[in-house]
Amino acid sequence: MKRLINILLIEDDHLDQLEVQRIMDKRSILYKLKIAKNGEEGLQMLRENSSPVFEGPPDIIILDLNMPKMNGFEFLQNLKPEEVKNIKIFVLTTSEEKEDKLLSKHLGVSGFITKPLKLESPSSLDAFNLMINLMNMQN
Amino acid sequence: MKIAYTIFLSFFVILFLFTVVTYQNTRLAEQVNENSETFARSSTVVRESNRFQRNVLNIASALRGYVLSNEATFLQTYDSAVTENEEILAELDTLVQQNPRQAALLREIRELNDNWVNELAQPLLEAKKSSISSDSGKHAFQKLYRAVVVTGHVKEAQALIQGRTSQFTNIEYSFRKANKQALTASIEKTKRTSYYLTAVSIVSGFFIALFLARFISVKIVKMVRMANEIANGNYHVSMQTDRSTEFNQLASALNDMAQILSQNISLLKGKNEELDQFAHIVSHDLKAPLRGIDNVVTWIEEDKSFDLSARMKEYLILIKGRIKRAENLLQGILMYSRIGKEKPEFEKTDLNKLMNEVREYLPENSSIKLEVQPNLPTIFTERLALLQIFTNLVVNAFKYHDNQYGIVKVYYRELQDRFNFFVEDNGPGIASAYHERIFIIFQTLQERDAFESTGVGLAIVKKILDDRNLKITLDSEPGRGSTFSFEWPKNQSNEKTD
Repeated sequence: MKRLINILLIEDDHLDQLEVQRIMDKRSILYKLKIAKNGEEGLQMLRENSSPVFEGPPDIIILDLNMPKMNGFEFLQNLKPEEVKNIKIFVLTTSEEKEDKLLSKHLGVSGFITKPLKLESPSSLDAFNLMINLMNMQN
Repeated sequence: MKIAYTIFLSFFVILFLFTVVTYQNTRLAEQVNENSETFARSSTVVRESNRFQRNVLNIASALRGYVLSNEATFLQTYDSAVTENEEILAELDTLVQQNPRQAALLREIRELNDNWVNELAQPLLEAKKSSISSDSGKHAFQKLYRAVVVTGHVKEAQALIQGRTSQFTNIEYSFRKANKQALTASIEKTKRTSYYLTAVSIVSGFFIALFLARFISVKIVKMVRMANEIANGNYHVSMQTDRSTEFNQLASALNDMAQILSQNISLLKGKNEELDQFAHIVSHDLKAPLRGIDNVVTWIEEDKSFDLSARMKEYLILIKGRIKRAENLLQGILMYSRIGKEKPEFEKTDLNKLMNEVREYLPENSSIKLEVQPNLPTIFTERLALLQIFTNLVVNAFKYHDNQYGIVKVYYRELQDRFNFFVEDNGPGIASAYHERIFIIFQTLQERDAFESTGVGLAIVKKILDDRNLKITLDSEPGRGSTFSFEWPKNQSNEKTD
């Protein structure tokens, strides 16, 4: 019996939100999804206890860097270590932003999902493999 | 002081010195002239006084002759000598008026002469004449003869005249001698002064000329150096402007020019950088929405939840094509704006290997042939920039070739300080009206729909070469192919290839 993974997607662009969902669908990943439009909203959702989508902390956070109000880096800096103890964070990035990647690693990010999203994109493979592994794990 | 004033003053000084020399010489010439006049006068004085002496002797001997022999011829001699001496005395009187001593002496001589002739000689003659006709006359004569001749009065008077006349002549001689000595001294002095002044003016002229030449030359050399600096792109130069010469004005004009140039250049650089940055940001940011549109179109195609009509499918293909074109254009702008941003890296480059790298960018399975001149040199150069130029030119030649069996040739010519590289094709050729336009970004000569091309390749080539002050030229006519040739330095930096 596969389980649904709980994902918090922090991304302001609706098109990118859809794209992430589509690629996960294509990879047959089963998930429950909360969507935050910026870092501030992301923090709020992370910290709320009850929600119609799923309760408790997510398994995975997918984080965009360029957002209004609070961007991805600020979000990462605002996290308390105990809040994300068991959470894997993946950053949505374009392949050109090398400096962003370095800084994200420094701030405790597990990996990257590279835009444009492609099924075969090797740089995003880690993220999806992890999702599939999580999904196959027994409760 | 102004240079013009310095030059003027120097010439004035030298001119003044020469004027003094000339004035001195003129005065000497006048002196010589005066002296020769004086000499002529003096000769006359001496000659006349000698004549006077002779006449005195003649008078004396005529007097004696007549008194002793009673011959009338003696009377004639006596008369003419007396008359002549009167004339001589009158002439001498006019000649010696300037010399008071001689004039006084002459007056004395005249008195003595008058006394001798009128008081002694003449009465004796008269007495002698009357002694012939009567005895009383004879007695009177005898008496007078004893009184003046035997006592020696006549002789004394004559000797006195002769002595005074000699004195008079001697004064003339010594006067002439003194005159001559003065003239010699004057000539000597003038000579010395002339030599001295001429030497001074030559030396001072030499030093003034030397100073001016050095001063002017040093300033000019400085300015030439500064102009060269500016020509070499170093606008942060200025000259000292310490003295108020014309050079000062020129120097400050040069300084102003350099400063304005420097300001303008840095302004221009700033603007250029701004423009490049702007191009970079714009193209980068525009890519994201384009990709979004592309994604959505892909989703429409992927989702099989509804069938697309054939026309719909065509539209979607058109949208994707335009997106691709826009992306290519943006990529072109990005590449173009990046040129010159990176620090140039020089490396040892085997051009044969470089051309093999170029081949990798050519379309596969093309029947067009690339012929590269064998044994290309190895040079120490900016490899990446040269690779980009060759790639763009060769790929362009392939892309626009209208004959599937076309030939593209790459060869070079070695000049003294650089190479001329050639990329020649036997393709369609380009009308001369377009020879400049093809190097402008986004200019293509084909219809966009017929041929997918961004028009960045040649613009990039041109920018790379322009940045390095190198030239590219195109030799082409419709139907006769095209030959691009560009300059490239032989060995950059000081390192040599092995």
